[in-house]
Amino acid sequence: MKVHARVFRFDPEEDEKPHYQNYVVEVNEGARVLHVLQAIHDEIDPTLAFRYCCGAGQCGSCAVRINGEPGLACMEEARDGMTVEPLDLPIKKDLVVDLQPFLATLPRICPRGEPEVPDREKVELLKPLRSCIECVCCVSVCPAMDVASFDGPTAMRQELRLALDPRDKGGDRVREAVSHGLFTCTSCQACWKVCPKDIEIPGKAIEKLRALANREGLTLPRHQEVARLVRETGRSIVRTGPTFLEDAPEVIEPDGPVKATVGFFVGCMYNGRLPQTARDAMEVLKRNGIRVIIPREQVCCGSPLIRTGQVDFLDTLKKRNIDAFVFRKIDTVLTMCAGCGSTLKNDYRTPFRVMDINEVLTKFGIEPPARLPVKATYHDPCHLLRGQGIRDQPRELITQVVELVEMPSICCGSGGGVRSGMPEVAAALAENRRKEIEKTGAEIVVSSCPFCEFHISEHTDRPVRNVTSILLEGYREKDRKKAKGTVSS
Amino acid sequence: MDCHVLVIGSGGAGVRAAIEASGYGKTILLSKTLAGKGGCTPMAEGGYNAVLREQDSCEIHYGDTMKGGSYLNDPELVRILVAEAPERMEDLLRWGAVFDVTDCCEVAQRPFGGQSFPRTCYAGDRTGHEMMVTLIERLASTDVKVISEVTVLDLVVESGRVVGALGLDGKGNIVAVRADATVLATGGGTQIYDISTNSSSGTGDGFAIGYRAGAELIDMEMVQFHPTGAVYPYDARGRLITEAVRGEGGVLKNALGERFMEKYDPVKKELSTRDVVSRAIATEILEGRGTAHGGVYLDVTHLPRQQIEERLPVMLEQFLKFGVDIREEPMEVAPTAHHIMGGLRISPHGETTLPGLYACGEVTGGVHGANRLGGNALADTQVFGKRAGESAGRAPRRDVRIGEKAIEAQEERLSLFLGGEVPPSTVVRSLRTAMWEGAGIFRTARDLEKTLGVIAHLSSLPLLARTRENLGECCTVQNMLLTATLVVRGALLRKESRGAHTRRDVVQAWDAQTSPYGHTYQSLTRSGIETVVRE
Repeated sequence: MKVHARVFRFDPEEDEKPHYQNYVVEVNEGARVLHVLQAIHDEIDPTLAFRYCCGAGQCGSCAVRINGEPGLACMEEARDGMTVEPLDLPIKKDLVVDLQPFLATLPRICPRGEPEVPDREKVELLKPLRSCIECVCCVSVCPAMDVASFDGPTAMRQELRLALDPRDKGGDRVREAVSHGLFTCTSCQACWKVCPKDIEIPGKAIEKLRALANREGLTLPRHQEVARLVRETGRSIVRTGPTFLEDAPEVIEPDGPVKATVGFFVGCMYNGRLPQTARDAMEVLKRNGIRVIIPREQVCCGSPLIRTGQVDFLDTLKKRNIDAFVFRKIDTVLTMCAGCGSTLKNDYRTPFRVMDINEVLTKFGIEPPARLPVKATYHDPCHLLRGQGIRDQPRELITQVVELVEMPSICCGSGGGVRSGMPEVAAALAENRRKEIEKTGAEIVVSSCPFCEFHISEHTDRPVRNVTSILLEGYREKDRKKAKGTVSS
Repeated sequence: MDCHVLVIGSGGAGVRAAIEASGYGKTILLSKTLAGKGGCTPMAEGGYNAVLREQDSCEIHYGDTMKGGSYLNDPELVRILVAEAPERMEDLLRWGAVFDVTDCCEVAQRPFGGQSFPRTCYAGDRTGHEMMVTLIERLASTDVKVISEVTVLDLVVESGRVVGALGLDGKGNIVAVRADATVLATGGGTQIYDISTNSSSGTGDGFAIGYRAGAELIDMEMVQFHPTGAVYPYDARGRLITEAVRGEGGVLKNALGERFMEKYDPVKKELSTRDVVSRAIATEILEGRGTAHGGVYLDVTHLPRQQIEERLPVMLEQFLKFGVDIREEPMEVAPTAHHIMGGLRISPHGETTLPGLYACGEVTGGVHGANRLGGNALADTQVFGKRAGESAGRAPRRDVRIGEKAIEAQEERLSLFLGGEVPPSTVVRSLRTAMWEGAGIFRTARDLEKTLGVIAHLSSLPLLARTRENLGECCTVQNMLLTATLVVRGALLRKESRGAHTRRDVVQAWDAQTSPYGHTYQSLTRSGIETVVRE
């Protein structure tokens, strides 16, 4: 088959700046990206530099970006029209990046010297942490490493491996992890999503290390404060005014026929900080045939505790939340906070289905709103895009009401307890987000997560709106037009 | 650069040797790849053979290895292998390796081909990777200077003694390393075949470098074809499908659905030795009972899903990438060139026949005889890696320099490439096809002679390097051509079928134990086959 490939070329010793070269090569059906690079090298241009070795996804030499996504050249299937670029790391030549500085920072075991074998339970904990092939894809996408003193995802994976291994006598690895930036990770999960070995670093390493840090009393004071609040009030934020739940009815019946019934899990932020956004969402649901049941006894989902490693109170929260919905025989729970949704889906074992509001609205379909003459850009919440795999649905909704200009999906810095615990890191990440927003020329920013909305709005001069809020605006505009039409006719 | 011990190669054997040598003086490790990512160790999936249980014994491991190797193995080397494999396993555990364990906190073991006792220790199906990660961590705590991405051109020999090596860095500049002792640990070379499991660095560099320097090689005709390599898509052909799949209970079936191994080895069936299983699969395919893709089926669908997910995660992941869920459907497999049992002749201390030069791992010959047992290679890297590193470390210090002449000679060799005509990739493609067709599982003198002719022709072509950065590729192709030559010449020297070497044109009246032949040997000054007198 014929493959057109656009390949990044740059020789720092010769070229002023990088350029892209287009190639067309004939490769076999089922060929991988590596085979395209080899064909270019062998048949067209032997000066193309790329690194590879095992060809079987086991050595981690050949990671590149394929259409922007990091992956192993030897495992990713070649696609016609693809763009191949180096990882976002210092470039040696063309697709070859310098891995050594990152590999050199990985903490190494200091063996006690006894040939002992950890017990089976330990081995099962250690095994998933050992499959890392040090391709550093994770390092190349980690946003925290760009703005903070953070050794990076795979270094944290290794710290946990050492902390768990009884054979290591290299000192307090948890303390070491903390000093190497453990609390700067926003749990954006970019590292996990690009990992060729599917190592869940945020959940299986960072949060575990933070839990160990908690046992050693190393949890950040601001995080402890949040935990105290949750324990005392069931909520992760202080009440500053009337909350959504205080005012909300037990059931909201839709205007037209009932397409579906859902239980609404509101979450601390929409409940206490942005209740109007939640009310906007209720109106949109009401207008689109979704019957909503709102159990008042629901509490914090526990995400702020899980992300910061304070897990001893978690089971109580889980039980109270699950009971609240099970008691009302609810089979579908709707979330509109990306963080709560991700937590209920990934950290809970629920007897009911959990759906994000973007999923619900696109699944059951919405009444078309009026179009607003506004150019918007969309910020993918990490816990929606990567935490729940929801990418297209919000776009499907947004494009029905405004013009959408895309920007790269990067973390805004609000997650993982970073906003409260490491405000300067969160601000630096938001600054990167602001720059991208500015590049789009959009007048407003749309998102679908209270943490992102709140945080971004502090760092940009554009209004930041929730997906459902702009839908509601579209409906209001539609109603206004209709009313005007009725009057004039 | 100057050092006491120079180790060439960063696979399991090389890194183990460097760790050991570092205790004796300044050690440099030269690696063609990023250290720890090259070679075949990180790709090794199945396991590490070691006697760990009361019910097992070194005597039994010895017997299995000799029998599996068709008694061509050097008995002394095998004795060392089986005796020291458990100690070297302890080293790995001491340094933090995470092997699978039993509920009783013992290293878990599973059955592999040709074993009388299940003695293959494993870390899922990424055992070699686990070892490599452990070794690289350990290496980082030594003073070894690691130089990555340097291609070794040749050893430097002064007055009959190896005094270091010359290499090429990524920009094509010559790097000279002087050493009191040099350890070759460059691994194997089945990249000379069209279908191979080897990593891209398996180009036989060490065989060629050692031979050119004057060392003697033995049994180069002994090429192991692993029974189970992938057959499609085209570019994935040959990719290793670990023996652990059969160890865990996978069965082989032909296109008619027959479990054909019952015919070839009714007792051990799928867990017969690799030479036997490979010939069986090749025969099924040749006789028309293969699949549409030209393989046979390897089936684990009858195993519990959890067992597949836990014990064979890499296999599962790799096949899923190619659109096959091995929990639901069978794999298609065919033999693939995997391991070269032959190599530099070594003493029990890892000394080659050339003073100043030591060797360990796949680049050596004698340990595995005519057929290697699965799980013995990883053990080999550790046992003989340590020995070679130690011997090299104990070598006396010498006051020699690398002469200008040696560097000039290399510059001359390299300058020819810059004025060459034929792209290295063209030569490699022809070589691989010729080797697969003429020096594969089934061999005849006629085919071998023909192949030798093709190699000679290819070797005469003026290789082209477009820039200095491409010089290394030309050197590698020369090494591949020389390795192929040694394999074919060895195959012609051995006029018998034995282990992995099958001569269809020879009728013999003996079996492995009564064979009149010993090692084939080849060096710059002599070549032949040893004969053994049996009582």
